[in-house]
Amino acid sequence: MDDYQTCPKCKTTKYRNPAMVLMVNACGHALCESCVELLFAKGSGACPECKCPLRRNNFRVQLFEDPAVDKEVDIRKRILKEFNKRQEDFPTLREYNDYLEEVETIIFNLVFDIDPTNTNKMIDNYKKENKDITQKNRNRQSQEEMELEELLEAEKAQQCEKANLYVNAELEEKKQKHKAREKLIDELMFSDADAKSIVASHVQATSALAKEQPKAAAQPSSGVVKSSKFSSGIQIGLRGQHTNSFLPIPKQEDLPLYRYTAPVFDYDGPPPPPIEKLGKLNYFANIRAANITERAGGYTEAMSCCRALQEALGGLFYSPQLTHKTAVLATNPSTQDTDDMETT
Amino acid sequence: MLELKRALDAKGHCLLEMPSGTGKTTTLLSLIVAYMKAHPLDLTKLVYCSRTVPEIEKVMEELRKLMNYYEKEMGMEQNILGLALSSRKNLCIHPSVSKEREGKVVDGRCYSLTASFVRARHAADDAVPICEFYEGFDAHGKEFPLPPGVYNLDDLKEYGQTKRWCPYFLARHTITHANIVVYSYHYLLDPKIAEVVSKEISKSSVVVFDEAHNIDNVCIDSMSVKITKRLLDKCSNSITILETTISNMKENDSKRLEKEYKRLVEGLRDATIARETDMALVNPVLPSEILEEAVPGTIRTAEHFVAFLKRVVEYIKTRLRVQHVVQESPAGFLRDIHTKVCIDRKPLRFTAERLASLIRTLEISDLTDFSPLVTVSHFATLVSTYTKGFTIIIEPFEDRAPTVSNPILYFSCLDSSIAIKPVFNRFQTVVITSGTLSPLDMYPKILDFHPVIMTSFTMTLARPCILPMIVSKGNDQVAMSSRYETREDTAVIRNYGNLLVEVAAAVPDGIVCFFTSYLYLETIVSSWYDQGIIDQLQRHKLLFIETQDAAETSLALINYIKACDNGRGAVLLSVARGKVSEGIDFDHHLGRAVLMFGIPYVYTQSRILRARLEYLRDQFQIRENDFLTFDAMRHAAQCLGRCMRGKTDYGIMVLADKRFSRADKRSKLPKWIQEHLKDTNCNLSTEECVQICKRWLRQMAQPFSREDQLGISLLTLEQLQSEEMQKKILQRAQGV
Repeated sequence: MDDYQTCPKCKTTKYRNPAMVLMVNACGHALCESCVELLFAKGSGACPECKCPLRRNNFRVQLFEDPAVDKEVDIRKRILKEFNKRQEDFPTLREYNDYLEEVETIIFNLVFDIDPTNTNKMIDNYKKENKDITQKNRNRQSQEEMELEELLEAEKAQQCEKANLYVNAELEEKKQKHKAREKLIDELMFSDADAKSIVASHVQATSALAKEQPKAAAQPSSGVVKSSKFSSGIQIGLRGQHTNSFLPIPKQEDLPLYRYTAPVFDYDGPPPPPIEKLGKLNYFANIRAANITERAGGYTEAMSCCRALQEALGGLFYSPQLTHKTAVLATNPSTQDTDDMETT
Repeated sequence: MLELKRALDAKGHCLLEMPSGTGKTTTLLSLIVAYMKAHPLDLTKLVYCSRTVPEIEKVMEELRKLMNYYEKEMGMEQNILGLALSSRKNLCIHPSVSKEREGKVVDGRCYSLTASFVRARHAADDAVPICEFYEGFDAHGKEFPLPPGVYNLDDLKEYGQTKRWCPYFLARHTITHANIVVYSYHYLLDPKIAEVVSKEISKSSVVVFDEAHNIDNVCIDSMSVKITKRLLDKCSNSITILETTISNMKENDSKRLEKEYKRLVEGLRDATIARETDMALVNPVLPSEILEEAVPGTIRTAEHFVAFLKRVVEYIKTRLRVQHVVQESPAGFLRDIHTKVCIDRKPLRFTAERLASLIRTLEISDLTDFSPLVTVSHFATLVSTYTKGFTIIIEPFEDRAPTVSNPILYFSCLDSSIAIKPVFNRFQTVVITSGTLSPLDMYPKILDFHPVIMTSFTMTLARPCILPMIVSKGNDQVAMSSRYETREDTAVIRNYGNLLVEVAAAVPDGIVCFFTSYLYLETIVSSWYDQGIIDQLQRHKLLFIETQDAAETSLALINYIKACDNGRGAVLLSVARGKVSEGIDFDHHLGRAVLMFGIPYVYTQSRILRARLEYLRDQFQIRENDFLTFDAMRHAAQCLGRCMRGKTDYGIMVLADKRFSRADKRSKLPKWIQEHLKDTNCNLSTEECVQICKRWLRQMAQPFSREDQLGISLLTLEQLQSEEMQKKILQRAQGV
């Protein structure tokens, strides 16, 4: 990104030599590291651009793109060490602002070499006059800094706390789920009670837990007290009872597992012979045997035979005396069930 | 209307979800206008905020109809003034300036013709160009108020042409006494613009935010700043310009700088005076207590300020030179900037104000070059003003191209309530409305306000106009889902393809499909090519695809509409959250079916989103998953709502993802969709879905006249006045 940075002495660029590091000294002119070593082998020398005498020890890595800013920041840090009065040291804001401007002017003058003798005199004067305050202020932080520090610390603490809280909550949830499941299995294995009732009570317990948890999570956070009425007298929660719009977002609950129960067939007639016994009872004698291609698809002659028998026998006991409604109810499932039968 | 009246009576805020095409705008306008007439002291003004210029025009059209009706019924001229306001770009009538395409350029050129110093210079020297329209307005326009009536943008321009007054400034001026103002969100939500435009709107106004389902994002955008390397380079350039102008001015005309300096020593008094009018909008960029203070001495003189800016810019540049992602809080940033370049918090806070003052003093007429610097100054002010609700993220490169260094500093607002808070505090009633606001209870949380009314309305329809279905599996029983783990699965992609092909065979005219992202759309389409699904699809309909390029997309859209209009039928593949999903209506034959492939979750790896989720969790106790689902479902609903634009319209809505059938997703759909989503339609396979479509389409294709609706979704005057109906209405009013 800083490919165009160039050493003014040897004209190396960052692009050609990615390892190149630019250095700056008090005068604010940049030089690359190797040039510094070459030119300042003796420990001191003149800046190749402005010819001002420099020491090698004072060379630092250039932080900013513009070396002038580096120089300014350098001077600023030096000056602010001395000029460190706070707003508390002045009776009015106006005077403090005037002081700030004065400091700014001094720095500005030093950076651009305007009127160096006077400026230096001013600095010396100030140093003499305000020795005590400077010394005192060095050891104490300004209010603003303190505020910032506090904020940062609070942030850190909060982050730690929050992270712990959520991690713990998650762990807890996992643990509880695990526990509940183990408990269920244990009970199923060892207790004498009906398996159904155990499962049912387990489902109840887990759902109750799930309901409790969000409440517990919300509790520590609800720092803001919410009023139940607006200034107009309309209740805040009232509408929720009617329209659901205020209800909390419904949580997806774990549904109980699906359990298979064998269907009960009501033929409304004499029971037809079961499919396994058809061969023995010699029903197949009157039926065409299934050929190879049909068998490949899973078809056997027993199927159609069974179906024919069910159709013949089903509904024989049906009597029109029954009310119309029940009759429909009774016949409907039976026809469906026979369909089911034929595939089993 | 009942609920709205309640909110107006209670002088509170309300949140209304009304399906699109059911006369939302008319209802709002007619009730509020009637209320204004009945209680002229309680309610003085209606501010209607919409999103785009076409929507603003639509609102004005409705308002005009309403006014005409009033005139017809009441038989006299109505004393109501309604007007639309838009940017200079849309309102300028200056012969050369209005030719410019870019909004910023128009603003800049307008400023260079109308700024006070330019006009002063013109008074001395005739060769300096000025805008004759503004002069005309300034000379005469302020005394003569606009006659009552309804003015849309074109009307304003025409009026300006005949009077030779500048329509933009005329509209800005008229806002203060107009009864109804229609403009864009930004004029109220963006603190920088709201300060200028909406300052003088009185407290007893109603503010309506229409199409407000994305209002939280608008709030956040208006407070966030993005700084790139290029922007900083431009800043350096403008700083050099500032430097040279200052030194020039020092030689020629040092008096003016001195004057500014003196004013700053006294404090920013002029700004304070303006603020003393109690109703002024509180600018969140600069809290008023700060403005009452004087500018700190460190940046009082112009040179010092420029040096200060230079340091700020250089500092940000060094921060951008990072190798890995950095995330820190504003407090951390402030401490670092103090130790690195000795900049205190206080002068930083004044940066924006000081820069504005300097530019004014230097009489720089071309502002367009300075926009990067202004951005940085806003950033400096914001970062030092707010320590909560913001975060700074510095990314050295984009996630997609980790080798290309492209450092960006995001200063992102995490709390949407910061920008909207002054609006809620200032106006007695704020109405937030849209076709898709579900789940409603999320908005009060993230915008941090207490609505008095919060309702979701359904449509009363004469026939089941919408057919929402959740398709969860293909014909081969493989679950369809855009879950991260299964989205690359060929079976899933094939099933999606088969679903589209079969629906395309059954549904006439236009079909719009929405994918979760551009990336997903592209991968799916390329594998559809391999699987031959594209060929099958093209046997039934033409295929159009939305791309990231706006020009390409609009071309595709034009041709899609053409194909639908001439009966050929077409399929448009587009992206949720894209241009098509927001603001383009597919009414009647343009969208007989909408297919939503997958749930449009946001890209969850983005650091800004992560930061925001964390903030929401910590501050508002909104769980990450809840917010993500909420965001995804509102976009899904937005996409689905595209096909339904009125009571005579009908459309199929297919949600093709297994996860949609879960209770937590389903319950977040708007009520008017949920109402039609039967349990039997929640877990369909492709085949079943197509069967249901066919049956439903046959039913819907029957001729449908106005008489069919009468008595159910449309009432004649007699029916309305009938005893039965009156009883019903009374019951509603008391019962709810």
